[in-house]
Amino acid sequence: MATQHSRAAARLMISPAVLLLLGWMLIPLAMTIYFSFLRYNLLMPGMEEFTGWTNYRFFLTDPAFKAALINTLLLVGGVLLITSVGGVLLALLLDQPFWGQGVVRIMVIAPFFVMPTVSALVWKNMFMNPVNGLFGHFAQSLGLAPFDFLSQAPLASIIGIVSWQWLPFATLILLTALQSLDQEQLEAAEMDGAGPLSRFFYIMLPHLARAITVVILIQTIFLLSIFAEIFVTTSGGPGTASTNLTFLIFLETPAALRRGHGLGRGRGRDHPGQHRRDLPDADDRQEPGRVRMTRGAANRPQIRSARADRTGAPPAAAHASGGRIWRKMKVGEE
Amino acid sequence: MARAVTNRRKAVTTLAAWLIGIAIFFPILWIIVLSFKTEGEAIKAPLEVLGSPWTLESYATVQERSNYLLHFTNSVIISVGSTVLGLIIAIPAAWAMAFVPGRRTKDVLMWMLSTKMLPPVGVLVPIYLIFRDFGLLDTRFGLTVVLTLINLPIIIWMLYTYFREIPGEILEAARMDGASLRNEILYVLTPMAVPGIASTLLLNIILAWNEAFWTLNLTAAKAAPLTAFIASYSSPEGLFYAKLSAASTMAIAPILVMGWFSQKQLVRGLTFGAVK
Amino acid sequence: MGRITLDQVTKSFGEVNVIPPLDLTIEDGEFVVFVGPSGCGKSTLLRLIAGLEDVSSGQIRIDGEDATDKRPADRGLAMVFQSYALYPHMSVRKNIAFPMKMAGVPEDEQKRRIDGAAAALNLTDYLDRRPGQLSGGQRQRVAIGRAIVREPQAFLFDEPLSNLDAALRVGMRLEISELHKRLATTMIYVTHDQVEAMTMADKIVVLRAGYIEQVGTPLELYRTPRNRFVAGFIGSPRMNFIEGETAAAKGAFAVGVRPEHIAASTESGTWQGKVGVAEHLGSDTFLHVHDTGLADVLTVRVDGELPVRHGDRIFLTPEEDKIHRFDAEGHRL
Ligand SMILES: Nc1ncnc2c1ncn2[C@@H]1O[C@H](COP(=O)(O)OP(=O)(O)OP(=O)(O)O)[C@@H](O)[C@H]1O
Ligand SMILES: [Mg+2]
Repeated sequence: MATQHSRAAARLMISPAVLLLLGWMLIPLAMTIYFSFLRYNLLMPGMEEFTGWTNYRFFLTDPAFKAALINTLLLVGGVLLITSVGGVLLALLLDQPFWGQGVVRIMVIAPFFVMPTVSALVWKNMFMNPVNGLFGHFAQSLGLAPFDFLSQAPLASIIGIVSWQWLPFATLILLTALQSLDQEQLEAAEMDGAGPLSRFFYIMLPHLARAITVVILIQTIFLLSIFAEIFVTTSGGPGTASTNLTFLIFLETPAALRRGHGLGRGRGRDHPGQHRRDLPDADDRQEPGRVRMTRGAANRPQIRSARADRTGAPPAAAHASGGRIWRKMKVGEE
Repeated sequence: MARAVTNRRKAVTTLAAWLIGIAIFFPILWIIVLSFKTEGEAIKAPLEVLGSPWTLESYATVQERSNYLLHFTNSVIISVGSTVLGLIIAIPAAWAMAFVPGRRTKDVLMWMLSTKMLPPVGVLVPIYLIFRDFGLLDTRFGLTVVLTLINLPIIIWMLYTYFREIPGEILEAARMDGASLRNEILYVLTPMAVPGIASTLLLNIILAWNEAFWTLNLTAAKAAPLTAFIASYSSPEGLFYAKLSAASTMAIAPILVMGWFSQKQLVRGLTFGAVK
Repeated sequence: MGRITLDQVTKSFGEVNVIPPLDLTIEDGEFVVFVGPSGCGKSTLLRLIAGLEDVSSGQIRIDGEDATDKRPADRGLAMVFQSYALYPHMSVRKNIAFPMKMAGVPEDEQKRRIDGAAAALNLTDYLDRRPGQLSGGQRQRVAIGRAIVREPQAFLFDEPLSNLDAALRVGMRLEISELHKRLATTMIYVTHDQVEAMTMADKIVVLRAGYIEQVGTPLELYRTPRNRFVAGFIGSPRMNFIEGETAAAKGAFAVGVRPEHIAASTESGTWQGKVGVAEHLGSDTFLHVHDTGLADVLTVRVDGELPVRHGDRIFLTPEEDKIHRFDAEGHRL
């Protein structure tokens, strides 16, 4: 079905999408790369100065970068593992006949609809909070010391929260795939003497391969840029323990940009576990250009924006944090 | 050839499935429960919480303090707007990829999906600057455009996998029947693909509704959707469980209800590409 | 009105050359059948004519006018697809009306033509159903109806009957033939079923790997196949081929005898062999004869009543004047 006419039409039809995405990718990328070579002050244009690779060196040699890379891999890998294995098991269970399938299905799918900010807040406060959280209550009733999930095992806790959000997605796709499996194939295998385990490994799993691939592909896309869950729960801490690449770059973006523009609304940290900061606080720049990122900054209640409170928008405890790249330019400015 | 399943086995499965179902659903159930409690009661041990009186107090407080309706309207406009805009751009593109595949079609699709893999923060500053210069910060229009671009690859991918199931012969028949390309897409492809388009629409409304990077970073007040509304209860109100629960319930309820009602469509949409 | 000429037409998909240079003329009003084994390029050829594929080189003329670069819609041809390609979301009426709607035919004229087509195709009672609610045969008729109302210069059919069961196929075959007699419009019909080809065609085009092996009326092809391929392809059951001494004695590399041109007897004959499987059709019986020393197996059509059983000895006598001779390249001698 390909003629000159239709091919020409196809090029025309696909070009808006391609151009938009290309623009979306290239323009900001070009700007980012351009800025990255500059000492650039967003607040005082015209003071740019070429700095070569300096900013890259700062970024890449930063121990936080390596930590964030590892955390990203752990986060993506952990969630993929939990959701695909859990999804297969759950799909196998839900594929059996039982009473109330409709209701259970509705319950299982529900977390997928919950926005990441909500699920992160709920898990953080209502469940993982060592004092008032349900897990805390539960531990107490057993006479155990409550476990402070977000500070003792921040990354694992985030993996848990994200897995809860994505398990329904995996389960539903795998369940549908399982239901599309031809029953006669299973019966034929049974006739051939295959036990339940062999049937699973030789018939069901290969049949699910395509679905598993889709689950992994789609989830990876979303998991690589996990942001809200970290933003709301640990802010990447303690230290860099739960900072992924997305969050690291976020931390490195200039506070100047965010302040007063609603960009990167900060939030305070109310989690007890997070008082043990092992990084120097934000604004004391001992080392020009080598100041650590400043996750504690948002603690200061006094910078909560009054405007936001009035309008009902988030009490933007403005993130006073600033990335080193941007910090550097500020220093240059002084 | 359904085989007779013993009732005992069915009972065991039922028990297991319900336990797991409730466990997965529990966090949502719990915030709904807490949202009807006073702050004092909400932080008590679970059993005490259940025994305490029910009240609408928290909802009243949230309503008083935040302009829920504004954020809700923003969420609706932004998520529906970006999805519809995305569909308008994606349908022709998916048509081209599904029915006039070239040697590089698969690569183009992969490239499109890969643009979603780039961490969005990488482009945050440039986008912010562009938005600032064009006066798009904290506008519904600006956010709609960004979310369109964000979800475009997924929309194209879903439509593509669905369109591929439509026999090309039918479109060729339309072409033989004298339909122009516009008519072919408008009168033949789109009506045939209604189920696929509906699923795509639903899923992307959900994704846009829940998107929490750009919505948090590009809005301050007037265009802030529910994701930002809820983030405002993050702290220090985070410790006020009842209010947080009420706000959470209000933020997720619309999409939860929509999701439940359109469950079948949604699952079908998700599984075009995954199930043969 | 519907004279179609292909002039040195070629088609390749990337590296793969599907149609080598090919010339063919289809006269106005002719019923032409393209026949050949699977993958020989029949559909490709039809789609080139339809304009659904571009030719790689060469020219296609419709009524003397160059149509090579015209879009499908502008060629004045109608096509019926193997899968029917009905629009599933439209009623039968809307399906049939669609090409007229696209062409901007006035409403009352549309209605007149739809009623005409529906009456001719026995679809009147089904006009408001969706294609999904019709049987295979009815769907096929809708597809034909959609083609008729355009009043095209020529109809193109791509294996339109292959999705129907045997009985329906025979019925639809007759209907299409009758339609052709009535409309007297050019029809090009693709099939790999040589019975359809023989019964429907004015002219058969036998294709192999994109090459035209022979063009002729059904009987010409049956009587004087130009080569072994055509001889083997036309006729059912297949022609028997015998090589070696028997052929050499007739001055050929191979000789071919059709099963119906061999007489069988239990007493005497030119060749002898052992009866293998006997396929009893009632009117006829096809015997597969082994151990003749001529070929692995010879197929013979005998009277339905001939009393032979598996393993019996049998004598065969070919009709001398119906023997076809071929040289080593397979050409007819
Ligand atoms: N789009 C394409 N790209 C590459 N090769 C193709 C394409 N379409 C057809 N071919 C090849 O061209 C040859 C002819 O295909 P065509 O469909 O014309 O065969 P056919 O005679 O109609 O067979 P059948 O009887 O099975 O329908 C085949 O070998 C096929 O593989
Ligand atoms: Mg074909």
